[in-house]
Amino acid sequence: MISISPKTIATGSESLMTTPLDLTNLTPEQVALDINGLNLHYGNKQALNNISMAIPKGQVTAFIGPSGCGKSTLLRCINRMNDLVDNCHISGEINLHGNNIYGKHVDVAELRRKVGMVFQRPNPFPKSIYENVVYGLRIMGENNRRRLDEAVEKSLRSAALWNEVKDRLDESALGLSGGQQQRLVIARAIAIQPEVLLLDEPTSALDPISTLTIEELINDLKKQFTVVIVTHNMQQAARVSDQTAFMYMGDLIEYSDTNTLFTTPMKKKTEDYITGRYG
Amino acid sequence: MDNLQIGRHISGQFNEDLERVINNVMHMGGLVEKQLTDALAAVNQADVALAKQVLSNDYQINAYEVSIDDECTRIIAKRQPAAGDLRLIMAVVKTIADLERIGDEAEKIAKVALESFSSQQQDLLVNLDNLGRRVLEFLQASLDAFTRMDCDTAIKIHQMDDKINREYEALMRQLMTYMMEDPRSIPQVMTVIWSARGLERIGDRCQNICEYIIYFVKGKVVRHTTAEDMKNL
Repeated sequence: MISISPKTIATGSESLMTTPLDLTNLTPEQVALDINGLNLHYGNKQALNNISMAIPKGQVTAFIGPSGCGKSTLLRCINRMNDLVDNCHISGEINLHGNNIYGKHVDVAELRRKVGMVFQRPNPFPKSIYENVVYGLRIMGENNRRRLDEAVEKSLRSAALWNEVKDRLDESALGLSGGQQQRLVIARAIAIQPEVLLLDEPTSALDPISTLTIEELINDLKKQFTVVIVTHNMQQAARVSDQTAFMYMGDLIEYSDTNTLFTTPMKKKTEDYITGRYG
Repeated sequence: MDNLQIGRHISGQFNEDLERVINNVMHMGGLVEKQLTDALAAVNQADVALAKQVLSNDYQINAYEVSIDDECTRIIAKRQPAAGDLRLIMAVVKTIADLERIGDEAEKIAKVALESFSSQQQDLLVNLDNLGRRVLEFLQASLDAFTRMDCDTAIKIHQMDDKINREYEALMRQLMTYMMEDPRSIPQVMTVIWSARGLERIGDRCQNICEYIIYFVKGKVVRHTTAEDMKNL
């Protein structure tokens, strides 16, 4: 009888499954965001408890967890959206390329140029499709028509919207469908070439087909950007992400590659949540 | 069923779906066990009526396999099971495929009882009975472990297949001697060989079932691994 060692099997199955990254042992080049001992309080209430994790570059990382677990709060920390909340106190670090975004002398506007964000409900400006996409570039002082035209086409193509709107760029963005508006907002976010794209439940207001289009788009976007997504839809996290972090009551319970987390989670809390036993 | 924890989903319907699948697998397992027991008894006692009954009952096992398969497909489509639930569904789908094949082997063994053996050749069948009893024990232990999803027992009884293989090889040597001594007995001996081969295959399938139990409980694939590797689980 021929005995096959586990090693042989692992080698044999390489063509079927890509080897996941070792999230505890990433090289500095592989890391896009390094979150270190992050605590957040809203008044007296602690919403994030000592979160530490490294988010790899050029990959999709999903945050899942029940309502109020802190996943959106954590996402909003990454481009300092919580600065606008009264009574919000943050300690710890989030390093983007080794620089703490909560350091002294950080230009928040510059940070948000590097870290773009898309929200749950599509929020296009009441302007033309064209002006929506170039909005960020104009703020940055870009007025060269040719360069703006190029940026519009490139962004809309990346957001898989170009073919649908190329003949009506001057029409109001509010005339687009919900799914198209969300893709327009993504085009607006990527027009300024951010490094990280934060998506806060980007498909929860969309129909299933638009949802699939956005999911397909996310998969394309990771070739150019690091994507971090918060989603209530666990199956969506399973479909689109490379890494998944499960959060519960402000704690990061488990963070591993998505294939492992959805088939053999290490923690019982994770298992209970993803199999619908939570509560 | 404690290890399964299927009663704890928020969705009561999902609980019911999984419970129904598990109950059906247990019924199917019971039926397969009865088929094998009857087939071996039919051979041992040259009971033609019992053998015919085994042949006519096999369709029930096939029907169970098809309906459990359908149910699992439906659960995957509608519930998108994850983690332990997903592993349970995968383990069930594979287990019922093996159970169905065990049923087919039992059917083949029952056919031996329909052949005529001289009183001298009846000795051959006694050997088959010993191997059969050991395989039946293994099947019962595997089904028992499956019912309780008992990983420790599965790891322990996984080794039973080695004994079955040794007994099978000993029987083969004995049967070859028979054939050399009396070439006229070859047709009957061949029949016994096919049945012994069938029993040996049932042992392998029971071993598979143990592996699915380990996969469900530990999330580790232990197929094609050595006994040493299994101890380190």
